[in-house]
This record gives sequence, C-alpha cells and structure tokens, in this order.
Amino acid sequence: MQRRDWYARARQRALFETLALLAAAVAGLLAFPVLSDARPATGGPAPDFALKATDGRNLRLSEYRGDVVVLAFWASWCGPCRDTLAQLNSLPSAAGEAAPVVLGVNLEGDGVRAASVAQSLGLDFPTLLDTRQSVGRLYDVDRLPLTLLLDRDGVVRGAWSQQNVSGEEIVRQIEELNL
Amino acid sequence: MSSSINRLAARTRWRAFAGALLVCGGLLLGTAGHAADPVADLRSVDQDVQTLKKQLVDLNRDLFRLEEELLYPASTQVAVFLSLDVGTFFALDSVTLKVDDKEVANYLYTEREVQALHRGGVQKLFLGNLKAGEHEIVAFFTGKGPHERDYRRGTTLKFDKAIGAKYLELRISDRQAALQPEFVVRQWE
Repeated sequence: MQRRDWYARARQRALFETLALLAAAVAGLLAFPVLSDARPATGGPAPDFALKATDGRNLRLSEYRGDVVVLAFWASWCGPCRDTLAQLNSLPSAAGEAAPVVLGVNLEGDGVRAASVAQSLGLDFPTLLDTRQSVGRLYDVDRLPLTLLLDRDGVVRGAWSQQNVSGEEIVRQIEELNL
Repeated sequence: MSSSINRLAARTRWRAFAGALLVCGGLLLGTAGHAADPVADLRSVDQDVQTLKKQLVDLNRDLFRLEEELLYPASTQVAVFLSLDVGTFFALDSVTLKVDDKEVANYLYTEREVQALHRGGVQKLFLGNLKAGEHEIVAFFTGKGPHERDYRRGTTLKFDKAIGAKYLELRISDRQAALQPEFVVRQWE
C-alpha cells in the first residue's frame, strides 16, 4: 500500500516537473524575440530609421530603396573608424557607376563633435547623428567600426564588424552578389 | 515457411519495379507534353505566377486588416493623424506625441514626407489602445517658423474615449492675420 502511494507521488512529481519544463520552454520561446535584440542578420531586412544629418536634413533609410546602401556606424574616439570612413569616402571613384549610397551613422551624443570630425575627414557622404543611440540599439552595435552592405530591397548582404573594410572589398562584394 | 517468404519478397520486388516503371512513364509523358508547345507553356506559367502574386497581395492585405482588428479592437482603438494645410509659415521637422503624459510617438520628417503632406497627404502618426474615460493628448511640433527661426510649439486636447474607435487629427495651418502657424487638435466625428 505504501509502495503504491510512493509510486503515485513519484508519477505526480514527474508530471509536474515535465509540465514546468514545458511551460519554461514555451515562455523562453515567446520571450526570445523580445529579449534577443540581435543585429539584423545577413539575409535579413535592415530596420528602418530616420535621423538628422549634420547638414540639418532628416534622412530616412527606406527612402534609399532601389539603391545599394553602405551603412557605416562610427564614433570619433574610434581610431579604426576613421580609416574605414576614409575608405568609404573614396568608394564612388573606386566603384564608378555602380557606386553605392554611403550613410555614416555617428553614435555619439555630441553632434558638433561628429560634424567637426566629418569635416576634418572631408566626408562627402551624409553623417547622421544618432544622439540618443536609438539606431545603435536597433542594430545592436556593440563593436566599432560596423559596416553593413544593403541591397536595393534593404536586405543586409554583408557585414564587417570591428574591422576595416576597403572600398575594393565592398565593390567586389557588390559585383559578386550582383547587387 | 522460407519459400513463402521468398515468394512474398519476389512479389514485392516485382510490384516496386512495376511502380517505378509507371512513375518513369508518367514523367516521360509529362516532359513530352511540355516539349510539345514550350511558348504556350511559358505563357501559362507566367499567368500562374501573376495570379499567385495577386493572391499573395490580397492575402497580405487581409492579414494586415485582421492584425489591426485583433491588435486594435474598435472598442479601445485610438488613432492620431497629422495633416498640413498650406504651411508657409512653418517648415515641419519633427513631432513628439504624448498620450496621458507618456510619449507614444516621435517622428522625424524627411523633405519627401513634408512634400507629401503639402500635397494633401494625411499621416497616421499613432495607433493604439485606450480604455474608456477621459484622456489627454499633447503634441510638440518642432521646425522652422517665420524668418527661418527655430520654432517649437505644443498643443493639447482633453477628450473622452467612449465605446468605439476614436480618431484625432493634428492639423498645422497658417494664421494669415498673425503671419504665424497654427496648431490644432480636432476630433473626427
């Protein structure tokens, strides 16, 4: 009799544990999209955003649909970012007619400093000011420089994180992917 | 016993062979049919693709409607729209919208979007849910005012949300007499 009770209790406990595990798994699955603020993966769509540029214009990423876009996240304190920006600045001459649109996104709160660095580097492309780091969070930028290559439909087709990327490499990628 | 097993195995093999022959025959016939008129076949495939595309667009529209109905039921739905009437005294840059002292929208306008508003476009700035009762909406408009001066103005409205959807409109217009822009919130009946 005691043995039967013990078995019943063990079965009940096993059932409870299984249900608890299942509930935890379901909760995990549901919470995953909220908790995982991961960078848009290659092959996935680049989230849309609008930011003010150093020249006062407001620019929205989705308005560049139909163009190949290079998004470069940078900050003035990041030395390698300056090399990348210089490379991207020479991209139009390197790529010729197939030159992509380059948008620099500065992740600092100080717009004046960003504008001054952009001017000192002689950047010909727009520098967008993400003073509230909202776009940085949207793209989960944890390392700089971060350069993303977007195709004409706004899909991420290449990503270079924490490394310099040359203009030639981007041109080669554009040609390889036939963007 | 073993002979009956062997017979069964042989019969199964024969059936599999006959089935494979039938499938191959069907495939060959199908290919031959395709080869008969490739142009007509391509046309038909193109038509199928177009039909499929149209069905996909319809399905997407229906799903969008369904999603809106589920997420924002008419009993709690509140929508805020923005429109621009003339707007020669104000160049719109951004709008921050607060409902019951909570920021619900912060929108930055590009040149193209402002042009669309000037042409009569109406933007859905916010869509959300509010329970029945009294609520307050506050909108802050930032841009360039007369003489290219930085301009920031706010407007507010207290409204009663009853059962049924509530539609509000933020309207930017010109007050010719004062040569100043005017910002109004109005309720759609």
